[in-house]
Amino acid sequence: MNKKHALSALAAACVLALPALAQSRTVTLTTQLKNYGGDGAYLAVYLTDAKGAYAGTLWVAGGKAKYYKHLADWNRLSAGDAKRLAGVTGASVGAGRKLTVTADLADALLDAGYEIRVDAAVEDMRDSPSEIRVPLTNAGAGKPQAGKQYIQTLTYQLQ
Amino acid sequence: MNMGWKAIHRWLGLTLGALALVLGLTGALLAVDPVQQAWQAPGAADDLPVATVVQQAERSIAGIEELRRLPSGVVAVHAFDGGQARAVRIDPTDGAILGPYQPSALPRWVKNLHRQLLLGDAGRWGAAATALAMLVLSLSGLVLLLRRMGGWRHVAGRVRGTLAQRVHVVSGRIVLAVLLLSSATALYMSATTLGLVELDAEPEPEVASVVNGQPDIAGARIALLQQVRLKDLRALNFPDAADPEDTWKLTTRQGETWLDRYSGEVLATQPASTAQRLYDWALLLHAGEGAWWSWAVLLGLTGASIPLFWVSGLLIWWRTRQERPRIAGNSPLAQADMLIFVASESGSTWGFAQALHSALVRAGHRVHSAPLERFGLGPAARQVFVLAATYGEGEAPAHASGALARITALPARDIPVTVLGFGDRQFPAYCAYAEQVDSMLRERGWPVLLPLERIHQQSAQQFALWGEVLAAALGEPLTLDLRPRLPATTALRLVSRQDYAGREGQPAAILRFTWPARSARERLHGRGLARFDAGDLIAIVPPGSPVPRYYSLASGSADGFVEICVRYLPGGLCSTWLLGLQPGDHVPAFIRENPGFALPASRRPVLLIGAGTGVAPLAGFIRRNERRVPMHLWFGARDPARDYYFRPEIERWQEEGRVASVQTAFSRVPDGGGYVQDALRRDAERVRQLVSQGALVRVCGSRPMAHGVAETLDQILAALRLSVAQLKARGRYAEDVF
Repeated sequence: MNKKHALSALAAACVLALPALAQSRTVTLTTQLKNYGGDGAYLAVYLTDAKGAYAGTLWVAGGKAKYYKHLADWNRLSAGDAKRLAGVTGASVGAGRKLTVTADLADALLDAGYEIRVDAAVEDMRDSPSEIRVPLTNAGAGKPQAGKQYIQTLTYQLQ
Repeated sequence: MNMGWKAIHRWLGLTLGALALVLGLTGALLAVDPVQQAWQAPGAADDLPVATVVQQAERSIAGIEELRRLPSGVVAVHAFDGGQARAVRIDPTDGAILGPYQPSALPRWVKNLHRQLLLGDAGRWGAAATALAMLVLSLSGLVLLLRRMGGWRHVAGRVRGTLAQRVHVVSGRIVLAVLLLSSATALYMSATTLGLVELDAEPEPEVASVVNGQPDIAGARIALLQQVRLKDLRALNFPDAADPEDTWKLTTRQGETWLDRYSGEVLATQPASTAQRLYDWALLLHAGEGAWWSWAVLLGLTGASIPLFWVSGLLIWWRTRQERPRIAGNSPLAQADMLIFVASESGSTWGFAQALHSALVRAGHRVHSAPLERFGLGPAARQVFVLAATYGEGEAPAHASGALARITALPARDIPVTVLGFGDRQFPAYCAYAEQVDSMLRERGWPVLLPLERIHQQSAQQFALWGEVLAAALGEPLTLDLRPRLPATTALRLVSRQDYAGREGQPAAILRFTWPARSARERLHGRGLARFDAGDLIAIVPPGSPVPRYYSLASGSADGFVEICVRYLPGGLCSTWLLGLQPGDHVPAFIRENPGFALPASRRPVLLIGAGTGVAPLAGFIRRNERRVPMHLWFGARDPARDYYFRPEIERWQEEGRVASVQTAFSRVPDGGGYVQDALRRDAERVRQLVSQGALVRVCGSRPMAHGVAETLDQILAALRLSVAQLKARGRYAEDVF
């Protein structure tokens, strides 16, 4: 049903207000979902640091708090972040559709062991915490990566 | 409150009924899933420890991420292996793969239509509103059902009315409880989805496995998993191979537990919140997922029944609308000098109102007629008339329930208000509502033109008489030309007649008619001859008179014929005409229910007491007594040679055991036994015994005869400290008098 509507969901996020923001880059993250044959997917796009600790939320697709526990890793890691949803939520993403997220990230985060992680969940289908984990590096930019269950490709561009 | 519930039920049904239809039908489809899953579920393995199931599953499937036990008992495993995600059903005893796991056999749009009408979040609110409407419809339906059936004790009784009414009431009786439950649980689930109820009491705890160089512990060796039985399991999430700090997570009905992947120790537990437990119950009851597949079937059938409610409800509403009274030549309230206000239960009182209205118009007045709840006086008003029927036990007809309060609130004016009551003397609350209105008007100080008059069984003669008194009081010529609002008649064909000599100069006959078959369409709309039972009345409209005459029926529609016993009344228009009919002739007629008189389905003994042609409905009861309920007949007549109606039949029924005993009394032959009261007195001991066993009593005959029987029974029952009045109050004693 959803595919007939607009082909991509565009989202903008400006989150990581880190101290060294003097040098910042705009990251554009494009997530293309598979035609997994289910309802719209809930996605949480977030960053973890070199130790695997939560560093911030870039985007949450899907508006019902009731279902956030199905984004298990993100829900657990970000539990201490009271502002994890501030200005970064949107509609769930239909099967076969594309989610584009832009964010300003400090230069210091690149090539520093940080990872972009996406948790995914679809009603009546299996939860996929850490559906995909991609290191945030200069070299990795522009290289599509596949997720486990729902994500066809995830690509990020740096500007 | 009368009007309140009915109006709520009607308007909610008409407006949100169409949406309820969608939810009902999709709900019925969705019930397929739990039934199918219950069928797929493997046998009894529910007492297996979860650890064992983990061990078996790991033998046949690599890369398990999650193991779930569905409420139906199906065990599903999600795995990710070699870049490929899979979901399968397994046999928990040996880990064998039974087939692929699919959450639903139905296309997704069915569920989405059911929950959000395919409209996203706005649709969720719409679906929730429909669920609320369904809840209110069920509740108001329950109130109306109880009112219609006469309370909880009679709720299982026979439903009367048009086919649409019967379908509506009978199916309501069956599925009402399920509908109430479905809509209440739906509302709760909507509240959680829409964020009005928070399911998680607190955030999940921060947990991580403690990396100490040890290898992973096998799931089968974890102590907690060895304790928990499969039946208590909801889901078990395995630790992620790539994350050394990941943990096991066990979800049961009680809550969630996190376990260290190296030691198997419990890291944290979080009990399920009360809201979550409530949600689990709501889901179980609403979706029927679980061991009770029969519950799911019931839910599905209930959903499928909603179209039935909707269509029958629409038909009922449409019919009521069609029958709404329309008064010809109605003047506006402000200009009228004569005002007529009507409280009518079935609409028949409007026929009388129209007659009065037309007569006053012919006499040169400007007349305004309106329902009683619109009582009010214009500047030109000179006379006011209230025509009031009574509903049930002295209550106002449904539409006029607020009228009394409204009139009480008005200041009395110097304009006479005359009340005319309509009712049936058989009921204890004869014209009680009219009396209430009248006494309230007098208390408030409204003047009166004529004292309260009561019209029995819509008697045209009594009404005409009242018209003459009114004409005299007004000092104007006035002729009330009553054209009763009659239901549509059906032409009955006389098939046979059985003649009796009857009294001197008053021959009688048992007439048997048949009626044309009804089409399905006519049945649905309640057209054609309605269903009837022995003891109901048939109204026959003789040529040359607009007023029907009522006869007690000696047969039910199940017998396939209409049978009545008619005695010639000197000068009687209808009886003369009926007794002159020959087989093949036709008679226009319609059925009128006589609900207080019909026999309920029970095993109690029955005392049937009748005289003369009054034996007819009693004979009808006996004829249909297939269940051989002990019925005892006391029959009084004049002369066995002249007016022992139904004699051959009664003798045959006695042989067949349909009537347990027959006592006759013939008043005009020597040693005939006197009157029926004398026969009762002779059987006093037996009568007492039957009544003390809980017997029902039915009396049919002339008014003096019924009076005499009641007196005699009062004497007989005095020894039991019982009276006819008490039996009547308990619904055990009913009369059909003429």
